[in-house]
Amino acid sequence: MSIRVIMADDEELARRVLREHLNTQPDIEIVAECSNGFEAVKAVNELRPDLVFLDVQMPKLDGFEVIELIDSDAAVVFVTAYDQYAMRAFDAAAVDYLLKPYSADRFRASLERVRTRLREAEPVRSVPKDLKLASRAPGDHVERIVVKDGPKVHVIPAGKLDYAEAQDDYVALRSEGRAWLKQQTISSLESALDPRRFIRLHRSYLVNVERIARIDANTKDTWLAVLTDGTKVPVSRGGYNRFREIVGGE
Amino acid sequence: MHPILQSWRRFGIWMAAWIPLGAILVLVAHLSGRLTVLESLAVMTPAIVVMAFVCLSPFYVCRSLPLRSAPREKILINHLTAALILTGGVMLVGRFAASLLTPSFERLDQRFGSAVPVLAVVVLMIYIVAVALHYAALELEASRRAEIYAREAQLKALKAQVNPHFLFNSLNSISALTTIDAGQAREMCVRLADFLRTSLRLGERVTVSFAEEMALMKMYLDVEQVRFGGRLRLKQEIAPACSDCDVPALLIQPLVENAVKHGIAMMAEGGEIVLSGQRDHDWLRFSISNPYDPEAPSTGRNGLGLRNIRDRLESRYGASARMDIKVEERLYSVMLTLPMRKR
Repeated sequence: MSIRVIMADDEELARRVLREHLNTQPDIEIVAECSNGFEAVKAVNELRPDLVFLDVQMPKLDGFEVIELIDSDAAVVFVTAYDQYAMRAFDAAAVDYLLKPYSADRFRASLERVRTRLREAEPVRSVPKDLKLASRAPGDHVERIVVKDGPKVHVIPAGKLDYAEAQDDYVALRSEGRAWLKQQTISSLESALDPRRFIRLHRSYLVNVERIARIDANTKDTWLAVLTDGTKVPVSRGGYNRFREIVGGE
Repeated sequence: MHPILQSWRRFGIWMAAWIPLGAILVLVAHLSGRLTVLESLAVMTPAIVVMAFVCLSPFYVCRSLPLRSAPREKILINHLTAALILTGGVMLVGRFAASLLTPSFERLDQRFGSAVPVLAVVVLMIYIVAVALHYAALELEASRRAEIYAREAQLKALKAQVNPHFLFNSLNSISALTTIDAGQAREMCVRLADFLRTSLRLGERVTVSFAEEMALMKMYLDVEQVRFGGRLRLKQEIAPACSDCDVPALLIQPLVENAVKHGIAMMAEGGEIVLSGQRDHDWLRFSISNPYDPEAPSTGRNGLGLRNIRDRLESRYGASARMDIKVEERLYSVMLTLPMRKR
């Protein structure tokens, strides 16, 4: 049985060198070549490959955002000239991390790891999706959130997210009058975003500080946050304390 | 806190300086107020101690009203007001001391009163000298800091000369070309070597001619051209009159790298980098613009290079050079205006 491969790299020459290495292997079948993140997500979700080679810095979506948006169990190998993403890549359950330029030996070793992984037959995604989404250095926050919108990908810049509401295994992201559903827990979203800009006002609500118009008392131990567009969001005692800490109330 | 109050040694020197100054004040009070030297000394000592501290106060006003940027009249009014109030205060201290001592020295308060006008003028003048000294000290401090800054900026610039990722990506392109087109692989090696050699050579110098800087930029883009192919397009409008203008070495280079890294590399379809250089009387105007995708994923660490350029411009030209950044919907431009100095 051959290994079906998709590669994503915005540079033509980088794809060619990869293709050349792959062509020396009899059990490899290249099913798609993509030159940006959008194409990669679309191709992986449609063609369900066994293995994906991903560049990190690409137009549209970077390699980590691509991983967030694909719902296949494909093994992932990052191929990049930057070594600073290696930790993050393994946190995101990558099988290997190839540094450009790489030798034929190094490439074969990488494929061997992939074959072993695939033979083990257990899903490569033994790492929970949430851990993968949270994989970044401390102090490093996402500036945007990527959401799948049918076959397309929607990008919400962090500044345009009004608030997020937990709904079972999903979060509903409210932005510019619309709601987007993403399979992610509100806690992992909270840890991905800048804590100075987004406050967990309630177990189920994460709110953009800039959207809070005022906070009204509701009952003895609860409050209501009124957002700039008039939406009311429940606030717990803990949420109220966090709000005061960030806004620097009395 | 005032730097003089930060160490006992400095404070001691400052107080010692008030011995001759105090002697002048005692003498003035003695001569203009029919006080004996002893009386004058007794009355003036508390006032002199107060003055020693009062004359440290211009530090805060001087810092908030820098000579270069604050409006002249504001500087004048603020310091004059402070001077008048503080002179009044010092005179009151003198008066108070005189009235306390009156039982021991006959009619001392009246005799001191006659010394007040002349004394006040001298106190006022000493305060004004203190203001001037503070400005001089701040200016000295600023020029020292600018020097340190310039050296640091230079060091940073040297370190930033060759971006390792540029090298790794270029090597990866060469590695691809070896089997596809050996001739082009060799050509790419030559271009890369040209760029590295030239950037090392120019990096050793403080300034280079604008033409040399442009040539280096072209070598860099020649290498990136191989990597990006048709995605990287270039348009140059460089007036020959700019060629011999003296510019800080490798000042412009990081701007081209940014244009490629944050602009072209993040656009699926690529785009055109536009370079323009014009001579406008005694000014060199350079601009570089590139299309960018406002929705592109973050490429990180933006702005560090730009700050570096701003620091270097300031340490070399002071306020007479500027860098403007214009961010339009899909176009990012940086404009440099430098004084035209011939080599």
